[in-house]
Amino acid sequence: MPNEEWEQLKAALKKPATPEARAEAAQAFEKYRVVKLAKGKSSKPELVSLGYKKTYPHAVPVDKIPDELAKNPEFYDLMKRVVTKEKS
Amino acid sequence: MPTVLAMSDFDLPTRSASGFLLRYIVPRVEPIQLLGVLVRRLPFKLAAPQADIIIGAGHGDVDVFTGQNEAIILEVGKYGPREVEGKVIKLLSCQCGVELCPDLVANGAACAIGYTDDYVWVMDSDLASTPWADKEFAGRCLMPVIDGLNALLDGKTAREALDIELEGYSRNAEVEEDELVKACLEFNHDNAILIGDGGASIRARPQLALPFRLIPPPPLLMPVA
Repeated sequence: MPNEEWEQLKAALKKPATPEARAEAAQAFEKYRVVKLAKGKSSKPELVSLGYKKTYPHAVPVDKIPDELAKNPEFYDLMKRVVTKEKS
Repeated sequence: MPTVLAMSDFDLPTRSASGFLLRYIVPRVEPIQLLGVLVRRLPFKLAAPQADIIIGAGHGDVDVFTGQNEAIILEVGKYGPREVEGKVIKLLSCQCGVELCPDLVANGAACAIGYTDDYVWVMDSDLASTPWADKEFAGRCLMPVIDGLNALLDGKTAREALDIELEGYSRNAEVEEDELVKACLEFNHDNAILIGDGGASIRARPQLALPFRLIPPPPLLMPVA
């Protein structure tokens, strides 16, 4: 069952990739992570992809996703496709 | 005919993907296995014509599949038809399903299975030296790929193998509690694509009961940071 924070992230990612929208999505992801971390998992999860010559790193630690979302429009676009299933 | 496995392992995602192939696919196939620094154009060019199946894990784009340190292995219009003719090809890579897979089939491959967008998953970087042990995160996405590959190696058709992979994503997504992992599973499910003859199959390899009664591979060497 998707939680409220995840739905907020989805809504934020549906906006065009303006700096404000990216900052909003980053904040929403941070909130979502706070809730997830409160559930307690001790590991170092990283979001990885097999892209070639992308502007975002191949591996982004999950707790650094908000930073990457805020600064990188291409990563924002990837997260938009992954989370909302909307094609850009 | 041998199996060509191209498994680059120079960063976290390639290490994770190749780790699962090392653990679950390598023990049941005959060489030629290209791992790490061997995943370069020349060894691949020499090995590929002898194989009936090519399995690759590495970074990619719409028109290119790469190996170790992103050395180009297959690129649209820049390989010989003998490297792909009549073969079943599976590329665990980003976006190869857009241009490269259709090009492989146009050049004689029986079929090619790839993805039309990025292949994404969550992995535990604490387990980078034993990536096959990462069942909680990476295993959710990569075990369906392994199940599909094992189906191919059992002699099932490419269509049946892809269906097994897709069912795996759906099954895992249904029970997944982490929304990010679930989103990755659904994303990969939606982007998996089979180009060419879905009825294509290869000679069945001997089955090994899972889990293998084998000692797991030794930890992979980690680069010094």
